[in-house]
Formats: sequence, structure tokens, C-alpha cells
Amino acid sequence: MSQTSKTHQRIAKSESITGDIKQSKELFRILFYRSPIGTYIIQNGHFQLVNRQLAYILGYEEDELIGKPSLSFVLAEDRDAVRENAVRMLKGGGSLGYEFRIINKQAKIKWVMETVVPIYYRRKRATLGSLIDVTERKQMEERLQQITAEMQRSNTELEQFAYVISHDLQEPLRMVSSYTQLLAKRYSNKLDADADEFISYAVNGAKRMQTLLHDLLEYSRVGTRGKPFSPVNCEHVVEQAMANLKIAIKECSASVSYDTLPTVIGDEGQLVRLFQNLIGNALKFRQDEAPQVQITAQRRNNIVTFSIKDNGIGIDPQHSQSIFEIFRRLHTREEYPGTGMGLAICKKIVERHGGHISVQSQPGQGSTFYFSVDTAGGESA
Amino acid sequence: MNSHTAERPIEILIVDDNPGDVRLTVEALKDGRVQNRLHTAKDGMEAIAFLRRKGKYSNAPLPDLILLDLNMPRMNGSQLLAEIKEDPSLKKIPVVILTGSREREDIIKTYNLHADCYVNKPIDLEQFIKTVKSVINFWLTVINLPTEVK
Repeated sequence: MSQTSKTHQRIAKSESITGDIKQSKELFRILFYRSPIGTYIIQNGHFQLVNRQLAYILGYEEDELIGKPSLSFVLAEDRDAVRENAVRMLKGGGSLGYEFRIINKQAKIKWVMETVVPIYYRRKRATLGSLIDVTERKQMEERLQQITAEMQRSNTELEQFAYVISHDLQEPLRMVSSYTQLLAKRYSNKLDADADEFISYAVNGAKRMQTLLHDLLEYSRVGTRGKPFSPVNCEHVVEQAMANLKIAIKECSASVSYDTLPTVIGDEGQLVRLFQNLIGNALKFRQDEAPQVQITAQRRNNIVTFSIKDNGIGIDPQHSQSIFEIFRRLHTREEYPGTGMGLAICKKIVERHGGHISVQSQPGQGSTFYFSVDTAGGESA
Repeated sequence: MNSHTAERPIEILIVDDNPGDVRLTVEALKDGRVQNRLHTAKDGMEAIAFLRRKGKYSNAPLPDLILLDLNMPRMNGSQLLAEIKEDPSLKKIPVVILTGSREREDIIKTYNLHADCYVNKPIDLEQFIKTVKSVINFWLTVINLPTEVK
């Protein structure tokens, strides 16, 4: 290769380097100035370079900000925290941004999130910062917190209300019920046939209302009178539930089997009630053959899902949601007695344990109830 | 067995603000085996007046047994219970809590105040009658009452 052509090559190369530099400068300019993220360089606590978006967030023109101390835009009570967070992040601690409030030119307070990295700028140490406006998100979070708190309060109030009425109505109802029973005991067959009939309706109505109130009280107790959570061995729980159902199990020659069941974090008394209601339903809604109930459990991370499978009459899938509502019944009292509170109580207990309850079933083909328990053990409000 | 004979009727004080409940207790005791005389007070203040023979109760007998309801106006059951159990002349009288409350707190609280037993008023009439009879029977025929020891 000749000398001349080498020189030509060198020139061409240097021209292409100059071109590259030009191109990256242009790229940097576009990225920096057009970025939708507020971007800036701070040296010795003062803005050296700011982009349009930062100026927009702070409400100033870009050149108004150059040379100004960056902390002067931070709300006074947040300054210490900003300083600490920035230092920690510059030392490499934590990659998540930190949030604080700034005051813009119009004296409006905004929430922002900032991340910083150490750089060299004009051969001296500097900080490259980026910042986004999170005011809207913050306001939504605050609103959400308010709504959640309000909902919790009104839930608690409602529970308290249900508790008080079901509790306080029992006393007067006991009077109605006792004295109609006393009337029946002392005067049946002494008045006329109409009187006997009327009295028997009054007696039955009062008795039914008592069981309704009793179950409503139990329902409201799940939230208001629950015990603190502790580790609970679910095999013991199922054994207790079965012991409580001993007579019913014997009467219909049912077989109840269960796998190895785990220990969960919960309210033991309520978990016994839960299994007892579900096993009890399996016995109650049986077909002609002897009931068979199988209980299994599966763990996935912190969530344990139990299933209770029976060979009973099954449920039409169109009712698979509504059966968990209070006082919901799918049969007449003559067909199957009950208040329609059993599954509502189950749902309430499961939800207190951070889980969900559902059913899979077809009429005539048995039902499988599933419920989950969060074993991380946080009680849900 | 208790040495109680027909020499004098057993005195029972019922403290309950609900006349319906008092009447039910009366009905339950009507055909009982035990000769008894029932006295009633409709709240704690009246019961205290009865027990200390104040005012119109100057001739009141010291009861052998007290049946005490918890929810009452003015002085409620547990306040009255505390008062009775702090009084040397009254504390030996057995106090049976007979209440509609099934609250754990009520049960623990009254036992801590030295209630002699805690009984729920059953919702069903037959059960109620049975319960009252068995309570009275236990306290008045099975055990030795402090008021009868010579």
C-alpha cells in the first residue's frame, strides 16, 4: 500500500470517528433534553445541567435552575431524608428510587421519585439524577388507604351491629318463645282446634327465629370474637370436627377419610367449625348410598388448599356462588332443615384466614368444596 | 345428703329485672320437691336492701340461695356479686348466676368474683324448667348449705 493511500485511510478513519462522536453527541442531546424523565447533573449540591422535563416538574425555565442548590426545591422536612437516601444510593446501596416532596415555582407541593448515580462531569465528581413526578400515584395510594380504612371501619361496624342485634334480640325472643311454649304445654286440647293451630304456628315461628338469630350471632362472632392465630395441626382439627359429628356419622354409616394434613396458622376453634360445617353438609345432603367423604390438602408456597369431596346430591353450578351468601337455601325446610348460614360462616372463616372457598359440582354427582388458608399467617381484616 | 327437713322452707332470692324470667323460674319451681319461698328483687340495689334488711325489707329472711341475672339497670349482677362476696355476713350465701349471656368474659369475670356457679338460661322452655329444677335440687338437697350448719 502506498504512503498516500495510508494517509487517505487515516483521514477517512478520523473522519468516521468524528462522525461517530457527532452522532453520539446528537443522540445524547436528544435523550437528555427530550427525555420524559427529569434528568440533571449536580455538582457540589448545585445544578450544572438540567433537562426540559425537570424544569417542567419544578415549574421553572431550564436556565433559571442552573447554579441553584438542588435541595432548595425539596420540602424542608424531607431534606434530611433525601440527603441520606442519596448518599446511600451513591455508595451503591439499593437500586430502588426514593420518594419525597418538592415545592415548585408556583408553591405547589408534588411527590417525586429520584434515583442517582455517581459520575464524573468535567473531570470532577458529580451526581447524575433522574426524577419522575409520582404525585398522581401518591394521591391514589392515599385515596386507596382512606377507602380501605373506611371499608374496614364500616365492616367492623356492620359486624358489631349484627352481633348486637342478634345478641340483644335473643332475650325478648326467649320470652315470646318460652311463653308460647308454656301456653302450648298448659292449654293444648283445652281451647279449640283453631287455638291449638295458632299456638303451634307461634311456637314454631319463635323456635325458627331463635335458630336464625343463633346462627347470625355465630356468623358475626367470626369477625368480632375470633381468637388470635397460632399453629394448628389440621389432622387434630378434622378429628375434633368428626368427634362433634360422631352421632350423625354413625347414623348414616358415613366413611370420612383424610390424607396427611399439614399444620397451618389460624384459629383452631374456627377451623374445627369450618371442617364440621363442610363434613356435616356432606352427610346431610347425601344420596341413598352411605356418604363417603375424602379430605385432601395441597401446599403451594404459603397457600394450603384443602378439598372436601363427597358423593352426595351435588349442586347445580348456577348456585355455586350464591350458596355462600347468608340465609341462602336451595331446599325447603321440609326437605332439609337449616338456616342457610352454614356455608356463609365457612366463607367468613376462610376469608379471615386469607383464603378463598369454592365448590365444584354437578347435580347427582357429588360435590367438592375447596378452600385455601394462607399459612404465612396474616389475619385479614 | 343434706339434713334439710321440712322444719322451715328454703328461702330463695331471685334478682332479675325481667318479670317474665322471674315467673318462668316460679313456674319451674312450682311442682318441685323442695319447699321453698321465693323472693324477688328487680336489680342490685333492691337486692342489697333485701339482704341488709333496709327499709321495707326490715323483716326479710337471709336467703339460702341467690339466683342472679347479670344484665340489670342501676346495679348490675357482677357489681352486686362483688358486694355480696366482700360482705362477711353475706359471702357464705351461694350465688348462682342465671343469665342469657354466653360471653366468655362474663363467665370468667363472675367466677373471679367468687360466683358459686354459672348457668345459662336455656332458650327452650322444657330445658329451662329442667335446668332451674336441677340447679335448685343440687343446691338445696344434695349439698350442705352454709346457712344450715348449726
